[in-house]
Amino acid sequence: MSRPVLSKVAVGTRLARLDRDRGLVEAARRDPSQFDALYRKYLAQVYSFAYYELRNHHAAEDATERVFMKALAGLPRFEERGGDFATTQEAAADASTFRVWLFQIARNVVANEHRHHRRRPVAPLEEALGLPAPDDIAEAALAREAGTAAWDAVARLPEDRRRAVILRFVDEMSTAEIAAVLGRSEGAVRVLIHRALRSVADDLRGQLS
Amino acid sequence: MLGDGARDARRTELYLDGLLSADERRASDVPADTGLDPEVKLAAQRLRSDLGRVHPSFRFEEALSAKLSLGAARLRAGLPVEQTETPARPPAAIAFLRIGPVTAPPVVASAAPQLRNPLLSARPPRPLLVGGVGVASAAISIGAVYVAWRWSHASPTPMGRAARAAHGSRVTHPAGRSRRTAVLQGILGVVS
Repeated sequence: MSRPVLSKVAVGTRLARLDRDRGLVEAARRDPSQFDALYRKYLAQVYSFAYYELRNHHAAEDATERVFMKALAGLPRFEERGGDFATTQEAAADASTFRVWLFQIARNVVANEHRHHRRRPVAPLEEALGLPAPDDIAEAALAREAGTAAWDAVARLPEDRRRAVILRFVDEMSTAEIAAVLGRSEGAVRVLIHRALRSVADDLRGQLS
Repeated sequence: MLGDGARDARRTELYLDGLLSADERRASDVPADTGLDPEVKLAAQRLRSDLGRVHPSFRFEEALSAKLSLGAARLRAGLPVEQTETPARPPAAIAFLRIGPVTAPPVVASAAPQLRNPLLSARPPRPLLVGGVGVASAAISIGAVYVAWRWSHASPTPMGRAARAAHGSRVTHPAGRSRRTAVLQGILGVVS
């Protein structure tokens, strides 16, 4: 799990969370070619989020590409508003670390993708045949995972609960980070995840019985 | 004052914090609040074990890395990260008919020649020979048209008409043939 660095700030004795990626972000701002380090660091996380959301290898790749291209283009405008975003709702809304910012982009890209697919539903041939692409080992591994009961139970969750669960379990984000990504309060995210776990528990019990 | 739902959600959160950091500590079990619903705990453990992080293919990773590098170079040059698609322009002739001749647009790409597609920019310059051949062909055509026009029109001056009449009545033999004929006749005359 990503643990922010704590540092004293000028205002009283309040501890502020500093972005662990600050050095990489500053380097990338000075020289955009240094963005590659951030890209390598977060590629699997962003791709996983996109894959679990879209459930399609190619769509996840397209979404991942768009996320990183947007991030590179928007990097000069990115502002770290570190702050102690874990403590209050207002601070959570104002929080901004690079990872949170990146996943806000990812959330928007995935939401656009969902909207696009709702308008024009397209199923790839492999999906229609129920088979992974023959040269795609990752897809085959995922197909095995996707067959598990837990994965099916998560896929059946409502969108906001599913998204919170993926960010919590797959991307290992804290409640505060998820709140910042989803634009919700920490309390709301806590309840979302708790209810999601209850739904998954009920689903698994139903499958067992 | 927390309600029951919020209190349960808080218990779940604390348990998940411990569960997700257990891998870092290599802990096999995680202490849980006794008030935590055992089914929720079981579901959390199940999701923790089943929802793995996925990595894209190496091929995709490298291709996107290359694309980002190009984007970074464009950004350094003050250009947008991605090349925007320009709408298809009408052919030059149609554009000329519509709006008349226009001046050539400024060549933006020349500001950053290293960012241009090498396949597109590698076209060799048109050789000078082609231009020379074109000029010569045009000159010959113009000359042929002029000669045809001159032959079809009578000269307006008396001197010109006389010269043309004299030229038309002259029996011409190619110079080489006349010499050959004379030589042959001489030889035949000597022999006979």
